[in-house]
Amino acid sequence: MQLDFAARELTVKLVYYGPALSGKTTNLQALHRASDADSSGRLMTLDTRDDRTLFFDLLPLTFKGSGGLAVRLKVFTVPGQVIHASTRRLVVQGADGVAFIADSQESEAQSNAESFMDLKGNLKAHGLMLRQMPLIIQFNKRDLPSVRSDEEIAQLAAKGREPVYLAVATRGEGVVESFIGLLHLTMSHLNAEHDLAGKFGLNIPGLLEEVNRKLGGRQPVAEVLAASVGGALDVLRGEEA
Amino acid sequence: MTEPPSPVAARSERSLDELTASRLTLDDLVDRSALREMAGSFYELFQIQLMIYSEEGILLSAVAEQPELYAYLNEFSAPREALVELARRVRAIDPRPADVTEHCITGAVYQVFGLDYDNRQIGRLILGPFRSPERREVDPKLVELEPSLDPEQLKALFARLPLATTETVALIARHLKGALDLILFSGHKALLTTNMHLASVRDSFRELQEKNAKLQEAYNRLKELDRLKSNFLATVSHELRTPLTSIIGYSEMLSEGIAGEMNAEQREFVTTIHEKGEQLLELIMGLLDLSKLESGTMSLHKREVDVAELLDDVTSTLQPTARRKGVQLTSSVGAGLPTLWADPERLRQVLLNLSENAIKFTPEGGTVELSAAASFMDVDAGEGDADGMVLFTTKRPAMSLVVADTGIGISEHEKARVFDAFYQVDGSSTREAGGTGLGLSIVKRLVDAHDGRVEIQDNSPCGTRFVVTVPRRRASISG
Repeated sequence: MQLDFAARELTVKLVYYGPALSGKTTNLQALHRASDADSSGRLMTLDTRDDRTLFFDLLPLTFKGSGGLAVRLKVFTVPGQVIHASTRRLVVQGADGVAFIADSQESEAQSNAESFMDLKGNLKAHGLMLRQMPLIIQFNKRDLPSVRSDEEIAQLAAKGREPVYLAVATRGEGVVESFIGLLHLTMSHLNAEHDLAGKFGLNIPGLLEEVNRKLGGRQPVAEVLAASVGGALDVLRGEEA
Repeated sequence: MTEPPSPVAARSERSLDELTASRLTLDDLVDRSALREMAGSFYELFQIQLMIYSEEGILLSAVAEQPELYAYLNEFSAPREALVELARRVRAIDPRPADVTEHCITGAVYQVFGLDYDNRQIGRLILGPFRSPERREVDPKLVELEPSLDPEQLKALFARLPLATTETVALIARHLKGALDLILFSGHKALLTTNMHLASVRDSFRELQEKNAKLQEAYNRLKELDRLKSNFLATVSHELRTPLTSIIGYSEMLSEGIAGEMNAEQREFVTTIHEKGEQLLELIMGLLDLSKLESGTMSLHKREVDVAELLDDVTSTLQPTARRKGVQLTSSVGAGLPTLWADPERLRQVLLNLSENAIKFTPEGGTVELSAAASFMDVDAGEGDADGMVLFTTKRPAMSLVVADTGIGISEHEKARVFDAFYQVDGSSTREAGGTGLGLSIVKRLVDAHDGRVEIQDNSPCGTRFVVTVPRRRASISG
C-alpha cells in the first residue's frame, strides 16, 4: 500500500493468484465489465508473445472514498504457467491482499495445491508470511461437470482460516462477491496496521458500499460478505470488538 | 507501506514501486518529439494553436508559428506586456474541475483542458487563440491601451485568426484527448513491460550470483582440501622413510653377517626383510615424488643432456631385470642427434619407469626397444579451439623418446586412464604384475613439468609404444 499525503490518496495492490487456466484473467475481465466507466481504467494485458517470461494483467480501479481519502486499487493477475516463476515473484511483491482462484474440477486439485505452495514460497521470498496476508479463496468454474461438491468445499472451508467463495467467472457469478470479500479483508488488515480510519478518516464500510454500488452489486455489502463459506471469523470479531 | 526488509525486496524495490505506485508523468509516457509531430498535424488540420503542458508545468509541445496579429502587437511595448501577462495567466490556469475559457486583450479566446490518465490529471491542453463567432472585431480596449496601433491592420489581422465556437473547440479537444489517452496507455504498457523485464533480469542475475558464490565457496573448500592432502602425503612419506632406512640398513648388515653367522634359513628371512624394505622405500619415494609434483614444489635442474648416453645408462641399469624375465632390451639412437635441454635425473626416471613397465608387461621372448629422434612439436597459443589454428601454432624443435614393447598392449579406453595415480589396468588383488600404480602418473607429471607430452600408440604387430616428446631448447630461445 502507498499513501499520498498531499493528494490524500491510498493505493492498494491486490493480486489474483492461482494455477494456469483457473480463471484469474476472466475474473478481472468480469470486474472490468461490471464496473462503471468512472471508476475503472482500461484493463491492461501484458502479453509479450516472443518472450514468455512476462505475462500479467492489471486493472486500475479508483474510488472516491467517503472519508476524504480516495482509494486507488491496482488489481493484478499473475501468470499461472510454471515457467513464469519470476513474474509471479515480482508481481506478488508488495501485495496488500491476495485472491487465490482455484479450479473446482477434481482433476485440478493437485495444480491448486502446487500453486498455493508456490504463492507461499514467493511471499516468503519477500519476507512475508502467508498467514499474515489477507487472503480469500475462490472456487471457480462451478458450472463444469466433475467439480468438487459444494458440501465438500463447505466442510473444508469451515476448518480453514480464509473466506471461500464459489464462482462462475465466465458468467460473472461470484466475481464481485469475491472481490468485495478480498477488499474487506485487506482494508480491515491495513486499517489495523496503520490506523487509516483514525488518522485519515477512512470509512471502510462506506468504501465497501461505494465499491459494491459501482460494481453493480445489487445486494447490500453485509449480504455479499455473508456469501462466503467459512473463514474470516477472527477478522469480523476483531471489528466488532 | 512498511515492508519487512528482505534482500529481494531491497534490490528490486524501485521498479516495483514504479509498477504499482504509478505517479506517472506525461514525460514518462510519451516521446516529446512524437508529441510535437502530433500537435503539428493537429494544427495543420484545424489551424488552431495547441500547447501541451505536463502537470509539472513543462511545455512539452507548442506550435512555433505566431499568429500575425500577435507578431504585430509584440512590436508595441504596452500590448507586449499585456500579452506576456496573459501568457503567464493562461499557463497558471488549473482546469479543475471544469475546462476554463480565457479571453485575450484582443478579444480572442483561449481554452484550457485538463489531460487525465488513470483518473489523475497529468497535464493540460491549451487551445487558442481563436475568435468566436460572436466577436467580429478586435476588442476596442486594445486601441485604448496603445493608441498608435493601426485599427485597419488590427481588423485585417484579427480576421485571419481561426474562427470557431467554444463548443467546436471542446469537441476537438475531446477527440485529441481520446487519441492522447490511447498513446498514454500504450506508453504506460511499454513502461510497465520494460520495468518488469528489468526487474526480472535483475532477479535472475541475483539468483545466478548467489549460485556462483556457492560454487566458488565449494571450489575454494575443495582446493584447500587438495592442498591439505598433498601436505599430508608429503609429511607421511617423509616420516615413514626415516624408520624404514634403519630397517633396511640393519637387515642388510645382518645378511652380510656383521652380527655373526646365520644359518641359510635365517639369512633367507633377513634377505626377504631387506628386499621388502627396499620395495616399500621405493613406493614411499614414489609417493613423495608425486606429492612434490602435485604441490608444484619440485624444481627441475635443467642442463644439456646427451640423449644417447641417457638411453645407454637406462638400458644398462635394467639389463639384469630384462635378462631375468627373458626379454630383449635394446636402445638405438641415430647419429648426430642434438643435445636436449632438460633435467637428466628426471628424464632418466621417466625412461626407467616406462622401460620397467614395458619389461613387466612383455612376455618371455619379447623385445623392449628404446629409441630417440629429433622432432617438432606444436606450440599452442593457448586457445582451446581449432579456429585459425594455422595462425596461432608454431613448430618448436623437440626430441621424441620412444619405449616400444611387444607386450600385451593397452586397450583404447584404458589409454586415457593409465596416467591417473594408483590406477592399474588389472585392478584385481590377484594380478600377475606387481607395482604401485604410481609409475605412469609420475611419468606424466615429470613430462608435464618439462612442457612435454606423453602419447600411447599401438606397436605393430603387438604391444605398446610410449612416445615422450619434450622441447629441445629453452623456451626463451625456442622457435
